Amino acid sequence: MTPGQLLLIAFGSLAISIAIGFRMSRTWLILTLIGTISGLGAALRVLLLGENWAWENGFREHAFRLGGESLHLRLDGLSALFLVLVSVVGGAGAIYSREYWSDHHYPSSAPRGRAWWSVLLLSMGLLLMISNGLHFLIAWEIFAISGYFLIMLDNQRAAVRSAGWLYLAASHAGTMCLFAFFAALAANTGSWELGPMRDHPELAPLFWLALFGFGMKAGFFPLHIWLPSAHANAPSHVSAIMSGVAIKMGLYGIVRFSGWLPVPAAAGWVVITLGAISALLGITFAFAQNDFKRLLAYCSVENMGIIMIGVGGALLAVSHGDAPWGQLAIAGALLHVWNHGAFKSLLFFGAGSVLHATGTKDMSRLGGLWRAMPWTAGLFTLGALAVSGLPPLNGFISEWLVYLGLFDAVTSKASFAWVAMPAVIMLAMAGALAAASFAKAGAMIFLGAPRTKPAARAHECGIGMRGPMVALACVCAAIGLMPVLFWPAVSRAVGSWYPAWSALEMPVPLFTLGKVHVLLAIVLSFVAWGLWRKARANGLRRGMTWDCGYAAPTARMQYTSASFAGIVSGWFRWALQPERQTRKPHGYFPSTAMRLERIPETVLERIIGPISVLVMKVSTGVRSLQHGRLQFYILYIVVGLVALGIFVVLGGAP
Amino acid sequence: MSGTLNLLIGLAMGLNLLALGSSRLPSLIRAMSVQGMVLGLMPVLMEYDSLNWQVLAVTLATMVGKGVLIPNLLRRAMRAANIEREIQPFIGFIPSLLLGAGGTIAAMALARHLPLLPEHSGMLLVPGAIASVLTGFILLIGRAKAISQVCGYLILENGIYLFGLLLIHSTPLLVESGILLDITVGVFVIGIIVDRIQRAFDSLDTRKLTTLRE
Amino acid sequence: MIVIDLILRLAFWLLLAPLLPGIINKVKAWVAGRRGPPVLQLYYDLAKLWRRGVVLSNLASPAFIAGPAIGWMALTLAAMLMPLGPAGSALSFRGDVLLLIYLLALARFCTAWAAMETGSAFEGMGAAREVSYAVLAEAAIIAAVLSLSVQTGSVSLATMLSPSAGAGAVLLAAGLFVVLLAENCRVPFDDPNTHLELTMIHEAMVLDHSGPPLAAILHGASIKLLLFSALLVQAVFPMGDLEPLAAAGTLAAGVLLVTLAVGLVESLLARLAFRHVPLLLTTAFLLCLFALLVAWKGGAQ
Repeated sequence: MTPGQLLLIAFGSLAISIAIGFRMSRTWLILTLIGTISGLGAALRVLLLGENWAWENGFREHAFRLGGESLHLRLDGLSALFLVLVSVVGGAGAIYSREYWSDHHYPSSAPRGRAWWSVLLLSMGLLLMISNGLHFLIAWEIFAISGYFLIMLDNQRAAVRSAGWLYLAASHAGTMCLFAFFAALAANTGSWELGPMRDHPELAPLFWLALFGFGMKAGFFPLHIWLPSAHANAPSHVSAIMSGVAIKMGLYGIVRFSGWLPVPAAAGWVVITLGAISALLGITFAFAQNDFKRLLAYCSVENMGIIMIGVGGALLAVSHGDAPWGQLAIAGALLHVWNHGAFKSLLFFGAGSVLHATGTKDMSRLGGLWRAMPWTAGLFTLGALAVSGLPPLNGFISEWLVYLGLFDAVTSKASFAWVAMPAVIMLAMAGALAAASFAKAGAMIFLGAPRTKPAARAHECGIGMRGPMVALACVCAAIGLMPVLFWPAVSRAVGSWYPAWSALEMPVPLFTLGKVHVLLAIVLSFVAWGLWRKARANGLRRGMTWDCGYAAPTARMQYTSASFAGIVSGWFRWALQPERQTRKPHGYFPSTAMRLERIPETVLERIIGPISVLVMKVSTGVRSLQHGRLQFYILYIVVGLVALGIFVVLGGAP
Repeated sequence: MSGTLNLLIGLAMGLNLLALGSSRLPSLIRAMSVQGMVLGLMPVLMEYDSLNWQVLAVTLATMVGKGVLIPNLLRRAMRAANIEREIQPFIGFIPSLLLGAGGTIAAMALARHLPLLPEHSGMLLVPGAIASVLTGFILLIGRAKAISQVCGYLILENGIYLFGLLLIHSTPLLVESGILLDITVGVFVIGIIVDRIQRAFDSLDTRKLTTLRE
Repeated sequence: MIVIDLILRLAFWLLLAPLLPGIINKVKAWVAGRRGPPVLQLYYDLAKLWRRGVVLSNLASPAFIAGPAIGWMALTLAAMLMPLGPAGSALSFRGDVLLLIYLLALARFCTAWAAMETGSAFEGMGAAREVSYAVLAEAAIIAAVLSLSVQTGSVSLATMLSPSAGAGAVLLAAGLFVVLLAENCRVPFDDPNTHLELTMIHEAMVLDHSGPPLAAILHGASIKLLLFSALLVQAVFPMGDLEPLAAAGTLAAGVLLVTLAVGLVESLLARLAFRHVPLLLTTAFLLCLFALLVAWKGGAQ
């Protein structure tokens, strides 16, 4: 079947599933899966066989026009790469939501959730294929609004409502820039059609508008202010698709338009700098969080930073003579799009499973869940290894490619090495912090002893939630162990971004790296199993943990998440600005004490908050001019006329 | 001819000052109506050599409307509301008189700097118009009673009418008649409203009417 | 042929590594005026531990034993990537230095994970300190790798470790030595002999391990020490022009010298208070950064 037919099936089944999502959940699931699988098939055909697909208003006599513009859809390598991600995570999330947000537990919001899920998938798919500025904006709005409704599924809670409102406000701030961007583009080129336009150098300054507008959705620092609260308060399957896929739509915009339009010379520098800062600060914020979903959300900021570093490196290479290392950088960034989508969704599904079982998002109230939830624990650990970029999983492969690109940039000793060197150092620090954050998250949630009663009463999730997690874990393992299989798809996407690089070959070390990963995986499993056998053979005994002679240890004496992150939080106090409340014990005998620490969303609460308070004060002051007294309004007119008269008398032109 | 015109306009400017200085509403209404009649004569005097029935009709209508109809409506409203004096204006009577006089002098200074046609530059037409507009504004801003404000509006309207006479050769008199009809209807409606306001709030003081914003 | 080469390399790394902690302890004893434990003490300890049974905490999962195994194998594979002078490494490709760094990170992750298994505050403390200081140590290592890369223009360990002597080499040596002390938990970062849990980093993390897993951890730690020593020596002494035998001798001598230096530092310095540790690590990072800048300037001329 041709890509066109597959896309038509996908469109049709998703459109129908929107309508029936309210009633029949099983049929909805089947239709959504059909839609996502067809979309995946179409995208894979384009990626693997190299036949780009385009469609432009098939029916000549009855040309369908939307908003005065004829429809123009296009699926090339880059769109197909993102479409694969949308399909895989969309399908997995649909299966997950059936058990996680079931009709039984959420009778009023589950049907809504199903319908909006299909709308989200449909709008994201269309967004990737639309090749007309006006229609892009329409699809973008629908996509943003469906995200809002999905975040607000559980709108009984005040935190969810304020998170949704913040998301909507931030999204529309970005959309405003996008309106300006597309309008300026249409005004300059004379039509709303989008396509490769590199021969119009006057379009270069529009890149900044696109960076801001799409960046607001992509969620890199400092435009990430909506991301932590939105992803932490949304239902977990919604958080998974928002973190794994929706923010990639912002990235798609940046990558697509930096490929089609000429970019200013400073673009590469700015993008790399923003990426490096996002990576380091994002993961620092993640490390300091106590709420595991907020930790995952900030980790998404870090990973978007890593992707932006790759994109920035590629832009630098393009602007300095098409150096081939730029291909490595952008390939690493695009592969990281897939990798992050896979492991972040896996982690959010695991987080959802924990939330479903214990009812709390606070890591310091959990602990010891590995006994009751072995599958979730194992899969979350796999996700944690992947997100920390540790071999032999997929996170390492994409970070390795980005590193190689940056190292080549440094060794080429050009001027941009001065931005590549700090980027490498910050990336390394971010990697170490990521490993630390996920060691903390996994350890606090799954290891040790349960710290509170809800944690002690946890239960494992069912097959409906486990299945998608296992599938995503297999994807992570597959990309990690066999990266050469995925290289042709990535290089096709790179080629459609920058045609001059479509002929470059796969870096040979990737093949070696894949082999090393396979070897590592085999050796690690073998030795772990062997050591376990040896330990049992020698004699295995269970005993109490060493407690230094303390007579009555409790589970509350374990390290909490805030204490684990305490050292690094102290170093980054200037950025994190923690708020502390302490109540020390009085007197000579043991009494209760308390210490609460809260890390605010610093950019929002310490920078944008005070600025908006100032703006409100000034506006309220100005509002006192509107007092309702007619005479003063007339006085304003007279003052104006008198001023005009004086102006004329003093010699200005009347 | 221009001497007579200047005389009439000077009379109108004097009536401005009279309106500014009087605290009794009947005299304010009378000043406004006499000014209206005086200015209503002006088209005839300006078109002395090429009179036709349209000009005469408009002149008659203006004089009747501004001199008889509108003042009657206002007097009726005044009687219904049972007020005769402006007690506490925002801008006192002497300050408003001084402002009016100062405005008249400023108007004459301004008119000298404007690029007028040579036939208009010696006349008091433009300064008179600007002075009337200014007087009307002062009354609107400075007085608290609604009827005084309406009179101020009408003096403002006179000023604009005077300014419009500059264009007497190009503006069809139909426009002038239309404006005249508008203000007549407007005053009629104001008369009704004033009565209602008085009945509802037992006062015509516009200070009390500002709490209705947003 | 390849198989024999691989076996010889494995033998070298696995069998020679436990010698280093023995040498360090001998140096410390000699400075303190004692005889000290035999140089081969770690071998005896490993053999003894290998035969012992294991005590698992009630709270620990099977990952408690898998963690040390994974860490041990990750360090062994990292050792396979490290070239030994002109003999090269078992495996070399462009970008292998990054794999090495991340394998070390994998080992660290697994040790921290296993530490948190026991649900004890001591291990939590050790793990928290370890992962936090690793952030600064990573920055220093990557700056050192960048400076080597700028000097030689390559991203592969085999070609990267052929430095030019000069001020850059001295700065790099100092920086890498401090990183070696930090990553291998030596004074002034951590005292391997301390018995107070509150003052430990690495020792606290392995408090609850016993038997074969503990042997794996100790052996892995000695491999890591040999790895860092070999890296330090090859990053600073230019060995590319020497004949194979002379190069091997130089490498051995260099490693011995580094070990002696570590022993002396352990004897003569006291452990730093924890609030000063970030300062020392930042100093190491700045030393490597200055080495990078010197390499940059050297290349620009």
